[in-house]
Amino acid sequence: MHDLPQQLANGLILGALYGLVAIGYTMVYGIVQLINFAHGEIVMVGGFGALTAYLALPGGTTLWLALPLMLIAGILVSTLTAVAAERFAYRPLRNAPRLAPLITAIGLSIFLQQLVFSFYPDAKKARVFPKIPGDPFSLGSVTIQRSDLFLIIAAPLCMLALGWFVTRTRSGRAMQATSQDPDTAKLMGIDTDRIIVMAFAIGAAFAAVAAVAYGLRSGQVDFRMGFILGLKAFTAAVLGGIGNIYGAMLGGIALGLAEALATGYIQHLPGMHLFGGGAWKDVWAFVLLILVLLVRPQGLLGERVADRA
Amino acid sequence: MTTTETAPVIPLPARAATTLTGLGALATAASAALPWTWTSDFPGDLTYTGAPAGLQWLAIAAGVLTLVLLLATQGTPGLRWAAPTRSNNAVLLAATGALAVAAYSVTAITVELGGLANLEPGGWILAGGGLLTVLGALGLPLDRRTAVPVRILDKRLFLLLPAAPLGWYGAHAIPDDQPVAPVMTALSGALAIAAGAVLLLQLGHLANSWLRLGKADRPLPPPRRLPSWVEVLVIIAAFGAGLYAITFGIDTEYGELFTGYLLLAALVAAALTRSGLITRLRTLTVQHRPVTTGAAFAAAASFPFTQSSDQYTSVATNILIFATVALGLNIVVGLAGLLDLGYVAFLGVGAYAAALVSGSPASPIHVQFPFWAAMLTGAAVSMVFGVLIGAPTLRLRGDYLAIVTLGFGEIFRITMLNLNGTTGPKVTNGSNGIPRIPDLEILGFDLGKPHTVAGIELGRFSNYYLLMLLVTALVVLVFARVGNSRIGRAWVAIREDETAAEAMGINGFRLKLLAFALGACLAGLAGTVQAHVSYTVTPDQYTFADALPPNSAFLLAAVILGGMGTISGPLVGATLLFLIPKKLEFLSDYQLLAFGAALIVLMRVRPEGLIPNRRRQLEFHEAATPAPPTGEPTALTKAGA
Amino acid sequence: MTTAAAPLLDVTGVTMRFGGLTAVNDVSLTVGEGEIIGLIGPNGAGKTTFFNCLTGLYVPTEGSVRYRGTLLPPKPHLVTQAGIARTFQNIRLFANMTVLENVLVGRHTRTREGVFSAILRGPGYHRAEREGREKAMELLAFTGLAEKADHLARNLPYGEQRKLEIARALASEPGLLLLDEPTAGMNPQETRAAEELVFAIRDKGVSILVIEHDMRFIFNLCDRTAVLVQGEKIVEGDRETVQTDERVITAYLGAPLEGTTPAVTETDQ
Repeated sequence: MHDLPQQLANGLILGALYGLVAIGYTMVYGIVQLINFAHGEIVMVGGFGALTAYLALPGGTTLWLALPLMLIAGILVSTLTAVAAERFAYRPLRNAPRLAPLITAIGLSIFLQQLVFSFYPDAKKARVFPKIPGDPFSLGSVTIQRSDLFLIIAAPLCMLALGWFVTRTRSGRAMQATSQDPDTAKLMGIDTDRIIVMAFAIGAAFAAVAAVAYGLRSGQVDFRMGFILGLKAFTAAVLGGIGNIYGAMLGGIALGLAEALATGYIQHLPGMHLFGGGAWKDVWAFVLLILVLLVRPQGLLGERVADRA
Repeated sequence: MTTTETAPVIPLPARAATTLTGLGALATAASAALPWTWTSDFPGDLTYTGAPAGLQWLAIAAGVLTLVLLLATQGTPGLRWAAPTRSNNAVLLAATGALAVAAYSVTAITVELGGLANLEPGGWILAGGGLLTVLGALGLPLDRRTAVPVRILDKRLFLLLPAAPLGWYGAHAIPDDQPVAPVMTALSGALAIAAGAVLLLQLGHLANSWLRLGKADRPLPPPRRLPSWVEVLVIIAAFGAGLYAITFGIDTEYGELFTGYLLLAALVAAALTRSGLITRLRTLTVQHRPVTTGAAFAAAASFPFTQSSDQYTSVATNILIFATVALGLNIVVGLAGLLDLGYVAFLGVGAYAAALVSGSPASPIHVQFPFWAAMLTGAAVSMVFGVLIGAPTLRLRGDYLAIVTLGFGEIFRITMLNLNGTTGPKVTNGSNGIPRIPDLEILGFDLGKPHTVAGIELGRFSNYYLLMLLVTALVVLVFARVGNSRIGRAWVAIREDETAAEAMGINGFRLKLLAFALGACLAGLAGTVQAHVSYTVTPDQYTFADALPPNSAFLLAAVILGGMGTISGPLVGATLLFLIPKKLEFLSDYQLLAFGAALIVLMRVRPEGLIPNRRRQLEFHEAATPAPPTGEPTALTKAGA
Repeated sequence: MTTAAAPLLDVTGVTMRFGGLTAVNDVSLTVGEGEIIGLIGPNGAGKTTFFNCLTGLYVPTEGSVRYRGTLLPPKPHLVTQAGIARTFQNIRLFANMTVLENVLVGRHTRTREGVFSAILRGPGYHRAEREGREKAMELLAFTGLAEKADHLARNLPYGEQRKLEIARALASEPGLLLLDEPTAGMNPQETRAAEELVFAIRDKGVSILVIEHDMRFIFNLCDRTAVLVQGEKIVEGDRETVQTDERVITAYLGAPLEGTTPAVTETDQ
């Protein structure tokens, strides 16, 4: 157990990444009760947007200068994609039966993946993403990759900004009102269409931040990266209590920790020596989701909602 | 509710329009007797005089059908049965079919052989005939809406039109050695495609408000009572024709013919629906249900006898597997309203279970179950997984189920990959899968060997086709009988309004679990056959989305495209979704892209699918029973429209 | 007040709290065999919440609900099985099913045919299905919908949808029928027809508990009426008792100076 601090640090960093993506699911779900299945792909296009900005810069630009520009490009691409998706794919279905927008979301997810796969140059395999150069840091027994610094700084900043936005600004409060009761919010003069677009846009911006963090961490982006990431992030959103933004981050961190610990320690449990390591971490994340749904279906921070008769 | 009128689009004297349509249809059909092109390089060899081939048969079919429908709507004695509604729109649809075949053939010849010079007189007659038919049909009195306002797209979208060429120049201004250059070229290409789409969409809106084609309420005259045996013969003939049409589609040898076939089939289906013929047929089948079921089964079972080699029976077998699983999914999604995004995993569970007990040398369990036992094992194991996944999630809101099943589908694949002896216990051989699954032997009948029945040799795939057909029949039986019973009604009630259903004494959780487990069980059953058909089971066969069916996304799409809650819907949907990627291999790179886009468009345009659900069936039902003239059947027909 | 030895429905001290909000506070009520009991109160008085406590949709925070002397299980489908059926304030039919199928769904608890029986279709299945259809058609005839048995529920006019909801509830062969604002949105003629229907149901031996806004409807109909205001039962009795009770008048018309006048015929959402 001597590497416990290291595993915890790994879990925290991974969890913050899940949390950033989970925010997008939770915000959209909180307001329109839609699982925006294509959110993973919003992350992915953000990654490719950032990569494009990097490629467009003259060779030899230091990453410290490139990173902000990449971030802006990623956010731009993600947000535009998400807003366009909302406007042209989801909005016309707002009063359709429950299954219809979900299927649209699946279609959109496949469409975006294939769009990048077919038309982004050399995207048939993973494309190299820059890493922050330099040796890893050491804090006591914990080693942290330099590329993870971005996430360690960006995730808390994003959460602070979002918390401030939701509680302190007019738009944020309108957003909360809409998620509580869209009809009443409309009667109170809130432009719910605008609020919904805003939820998609904020989620997409966070997705782009996550995409850059993912790219820096793994040194590559590929057209399929959104699928598993999206699945994990949705799990995180459910774990934390869907609809609750702090819950999304908490769920992400819980999931990240669980994954790191499962990767590190499951094989030491009696009789489980064959089920540990990275190969099984997705399985354990899924098992965790099932367990949480059994014990606390409303999630860690969620509230129980009763069906009104 | 829009009002309709009956008026031609192109003002022509009635007689002139009829003559023009008829002549055009004749010319289209007759052109097939002449060569369309001079070289046999074009697939199908369309160079002979008096010997139609490939696409030329489609032209004949389109021409003849248009002519028959035209004569029927004109009230020609002896042909009136073909168009009970007398709607000229049916003629127009058939004429459009003729034009589509003509336009597609001429374009394909011109593009593939390089230039109009490659057309022989037959090709020109075809083009002229197709055009004439549609022009004439537009002059017939058509059912039209009285006013269709011109729809203009969001003005901001038109910014794309100048943006596309600008983007093009911009992309070319970047030197090629810049790493970003290919990205910019791709982006400008995407811009051009988007601009083209906007242009097409706007043109479509303009054409729509010019044509104003609509559907009028045309009451069907009560059907003439025929002797019962004649009605039975009609049903058998209809299924014979259906078998012929489907066989033609499966047997198409090259993409051009399949594309033409698909275009014509879609328009013919629309034309026959509008002519009222399909309604008539449905009425008959409702009256003779046992005969219908028997005829459908016999038609399906005679497919292998129409084939000279195993080449297309293997396609047909895989279609059956896909369609059967789609029908199983339809119990879960269509009846009970539960969205299962990992359904293919249950097929996989069944297939792996069957493979493990098949006696394959690669299986760590060295047993060989008889087939019935393997089938039961596959179905049972699949059902157990269904209950394990369903029990914790079905108590919650439906959306959770969607994500948990999606996760399960993915986890199943990962687990099968990991049970390879290195990263986990050695069970499945990881990505290599379980190969060399022996052929089945049922009651001493070896399905791996060809057998001769009634003078026709049935190969390995024919044997499996017939076995699979039995499984399909079983699933159809289960779907039909359970769907129309106390349990099925409870499922639909839950789908419609779960709170109200519970207030009616329905145990929502238990019934949802039942639907979920039954669906899993049926998929597992199909999986046991699939394992033997394909010799090998590998984890990659069971993914969420892939270019080839069956995978979870395609299964769901088959159900939705076909029509949720119906039996024929998923069967039609699965057939289309299997054949299109198979036959149009030139599309292969963009197949999934098109698939994704199609799902989005379909949900906006026709969320109820190709085969409409109960509402329409009800319409037929009411048309069949002579209802008193009072009451409100009109309200109902409109709702079905 | 009919004091039978054991009332059909016996509600004692039911309290329902949502977080800090007490929607229903210590309400007791009995319904005897063959009685029609009314429950009125201004908007937001907790009538529907009280109903939901009876039908197992909510589990009361405190108190107990007994039906024929046994404690009711806290699950809607078990409550229906025990013999209490309900309708909904905002009609909740199975819109894409036919009228007949809607009623057949109502018979769910009174039949036992399962999956295997449905697949095998033995004589037992056919008998059960035939009986079900006969009973359902009887109910449709009773509510005057027999002509429309094959129509889709969604295509019925509003008044007939209400009738269908009642027929569907009766299909579960209840001893007690709970009606949640059966005349909401009806015109006077339709309301009168609804009255007739409720009496006819009572004559079939089914007791009725009805929520209403329409005072005239309630007083024509009910043997006793309870008034719920802000989650508390302030009075219960016959027409005279209720109409002359000052607290009721205050609740409906407002105390002269408080200025709160909830509309009397509006539906609460």
